[in-house]
Amino acid sequence: LILLLLAHLLAAIVCLAPGRRSARWAMPIAAIAPAVTFGWLVSQTGAVLDGDTPTVDVEWIPQIALSISLRLDGFGLLMGLVVSGIGVLVLLYSMAYFGRRDDLGRLAGLLVAFAGAMLGIVWADGLLTLFVFWELTSITSFLLIGFDDTNAAARAAAMRAFLVTGAGGLAMLGGLIILTIVGDTTTISGLLADPPSGTLTDVALVLVLLGAFTKSAQFPFHFWLPGAMAAPTPVSAYLHSATMVKAGLVVVARFAPAFAAEGPWRVLVVGAGLASLFIGGIRAMRQQDAKLALAHGTVSQLGFLMVLLGLGTPATTYAGVAMLLAHALFKASLFLSVGVIDHEAGTRDMRRLRGMLRALPVVAASVVVAAASMAAILPTFGFVAKEKAIDGLLDTDIGAIGTVALVGIVLGSVLTVAYTIRIAVGLLGDDAPGIADDDADIEAAHGPIDASAVHRPPFALVGAPVLLALLSLLFGFGAGAVGDWLARATTSLDPATSSKHLVLWPGVNEALLISAGIITAGVALWWFTRAATRTLDASYSPATVAYDRVYDGLIEGARRTTAATQSGSLPLYLAVVVSTVAASLFVAIAAGATDSISSPRFSNSPVEFVAVVVTGLLAVAIVFARNRFGAAVLLGGSGYGLAIVYLIQGAPDLAITQFLVETLTIVVFLLVLARLPSEFSPAPPWAPKIVRIGIATAVGVTVAVFALSASGSRTEPSVGEDYVALSEPEAGGRNVVNVILVDFRGFDTLGEITVLAVAGAGVVNLVRSARRQQRRKRLEDGTLAEGDQDLDTGRKVGVWR
Amino acid sequence: MTAPSPSRRSVVLTETVNGLTPVLVLFSIFLTLRGHNAPGGGFSGGLVMGSAVVLRYLAAGPRGLRSLRIDPIVLIGAGLLIAVGVGLTSLVVDGSFLESAIWKFHVAVLGDVKIVSSSLFDIGVHVLVVGVVMAVVVALAEADDEMRGRR
Repeated sequence: LILLLLAHLLAAIVCLAPGRRSARWAMPIAAIAPAVTFGWLVSQTGAVLDGDTPTVDVEWIPQIALSISLRLDGFGLLMGLVVSGIGVLVLLYSMAYFGRRDDLGRLAGLLVAFAGAMLGIVWADGLLTLFVFWELTSITSFLLIGFDDTNAAARAAAMRAFLVTGAGGLAMLGGLIILTIVGDTTTISGLLADPPSGTLTDVALVLVLLGAFTKSAQFPFHFWLPGAMAAPTPVSAYLHSATMVKAGLVVVARFAPAFAAEGPWRVLVVGAGLASLFIGGIRAMRQQDAKLALAHGTVSQLGFLMVLLGLGTPATTYAGVAMLLAHALFKASLFLSVGVIDHEAGTRDMRRLRGMLRALPVVAASVVVAAASMAAILPTFGFVAKEKAIDGLLDTDIGAIGTVALVGIVLGSVLTVAYTIRIAVGLLGDDAPGIADDDADIEAAHGPIDASAVHRPPFALVGAPVLLALLSLLFGFGAGAVGDWLARATTSLDPATSSKHLVLWPGVNEALLISAGIITAGVALWWFTRAATRTLDASYSPATVAYDRVYDGLIEGARRTTAATQSGSLPLYLAVVVSTVAASLFVAIAAGATDSISSPRFSNSPVEFVAVVVTGLLAVAIVFARNRFGAAVLLGGSGYGLAIVYLIQGAPDLAITQFLVETLTIVVFLLVLARLPSEFSPAPPWAPKIVRIGIATAVGVTVAVFALSASGSRTEPSVGEDYVALSEPEAGGRNVVNVILVDFRGFDTLGEITVLAVAGAGVVNLVRSARRQQRRKRLEDGTLAEGDQDLDTGRKVGVWR
Repeated sequence: MTAPSPSRRSVVLTETVNGLTPVLVLFSIFLTLRGHNAPGGGFSGGLVMGSAVVLRYLAAGPRGLRSLRIDPIVLIGAGLLIAVGVGLTSLVVDGSFLESAIWKFHVAVLGDVKIVSSSLFDIGVHVLVVGVVMAVVVALAEADDEMRGRR
């Protein structure tokens, strides 16, 4: 398993590495990884369905019990087949769809990386493993939506999708961590085998559901999905219809059988699912762009699936999985067909498309089949699955919520039928009868496309959607066999599904009658709204507006916070920093550190006495200095005095360094002071003399007391003697101080010089940015002629580039 | 006390600095290398060389720096690279980061020579410190330029 995931990673790297130069070979190479996966999964089918589940457990960060644990059960197998199978088709389709583009390598690499992450989700057994792959899909999805990176709308859509799914992912992480603690297990299988319960579990489940809802574009987080259609069509087909948006459903499907009865689970799932079902359906009716209509339809369908899988009864789970498979097949097929039409006819606007039936007969046929499956019309797999769903809902005994779900789904399905017909007719039909060709504005702006000018698509382009549509049909006819297979696959979700099966023609029963009613009502709804929906404006979305408000509010809030806390006043910064030091030291001292205060001897010799007194006097004098220059010189003097004390105390290394640093500091000080007014600037109004004296005294006293108590509070024996003893034999040096610096505590030194390096680099950059600004200003003023500029550039080569 | 403009430059100072520079550089290298066995080390050595740079600036102004033809950021980077490189090398060779290795040679004229890998580390520190001092002085020189441009 892990090898397969690594293969995806490798393929991604191979495709991404050449950067812009990569060519057509990228797609087929990328397709190898999912193709191998598909083949391997097929070869494992028998064993896995017999209950033999391969597992992998690779330790990653054992300190936090984080490991990559994967487990291939029946459901994982099914989803793996869907992800890798559609993945291969989409990659091959992309090859024909994009033709020659120099960024194909990037696209192929991202797609295959996404496929790997998605496989990780469906196979994940570790709770944290799930989260890791979950986030990986968010990131790859972000990159894929924003693939057209010169398009501002695409970038905005990518950002929106990323923030929404990323926030959901964080919520889910919280939920998963709580579950790990409450359930005392790190794996999903362990959690489901022994599900915890209680308030904490409820909170965790709500958080997990939040994550699932954002990922699967459920109300009220549905708004990112239509925006994500800014991605190239093959990407949309793969991520935003067939796979990624199923990630939330996968999690819900796995958790539902064990947790559906817990607290708010069913209410949330059914509420969000039905809301999405309706909102998506209604908005799909309003779109003129076929791809957007399909996207809203996806939101709607995902809501439907969310209800089915979330209810957690064996019958609905089984139907949900069947529906999941059906949806993956027909929705990917429809998306890819729209892509073909867009590619060949140059538009996806359903008002402009006509004559497609004659121009692209094969694609048209696949659209009809896939649409029939979406609308659940006999004899497609969609019909079989929906039949089972209604049947399952009729059967359940979970009280009022089951009834609500049933009624909601029936009404939602009416919408589904209506928008499906609308899309199919919009794509393929000539103008529906009864509508005059008098949409003056549309005709004037673009006009209908010329059907005779439509190219014949190459086989590679048509192959994928046709194959998927055919599967929709075949699975319908072979419902019995597929049903048995699914029954064995879904036992890993809920053992009770093993007795379930699918049939193409169930005979006349309640469910069939309901289905017939749905189709009739749907056709009627389409017929009566077909004229009205032609002119609707589809751009308005309250959820998007709300999102934008929150987003802008956050940015504005951050700006205000920054403005409030970062005043740019140096005295204020200093006061805050210094007072904080004093306060924290004061707390430490008050907490009892004073017990160990030692009173060191004032001096050991007359020379030292003089040095100490002079140093002290100079330090006191600084306080009374009237101008900057005087203060700087006094500060330097007191520093030299300290160096002498070091020397007398027998620390020549320290003394040398102190001398040198002091010297350089004074020089730099003076150089800087030359540019400042010689007197101190007046104190800011918020800090009268008394406040300044207070802060200064507080810091001075606390630091002094702290230093005294720190030196006296040793409880462990000094390491100094060991260092001295080891210096020569271990590190080959007789100067212990230096050996400590470069050997024993070499890591410390490395850290320190890194800080120095960063500070130095910062100084250099400040200088350069100031220089750039200055030059720009001079250029604007016109005082810098072309020749001067050359001179300037010439100098750049010199000392400070 | 800005750096002098060409007309106000002191000949005495310039000549003294020109004479002092090689001495200071030699001394700084000496300090760094002897650091292992006697007071000194990369940090103090670097500071001495840094003061040589400062002196040149005081005597000759920005031109004194420009004539060095070295970008401080290159020095900073090189120093850090040497230090980390020593650490990594010992990680590869010895299996632990920054573990000192000791090599002893016999060289004809100098007699027995002992080289400790941590001396190399110290050289890295030295180079980096020089770079940082230089960066600061360059920043000051920039400000100088700016003032002169304004005048």
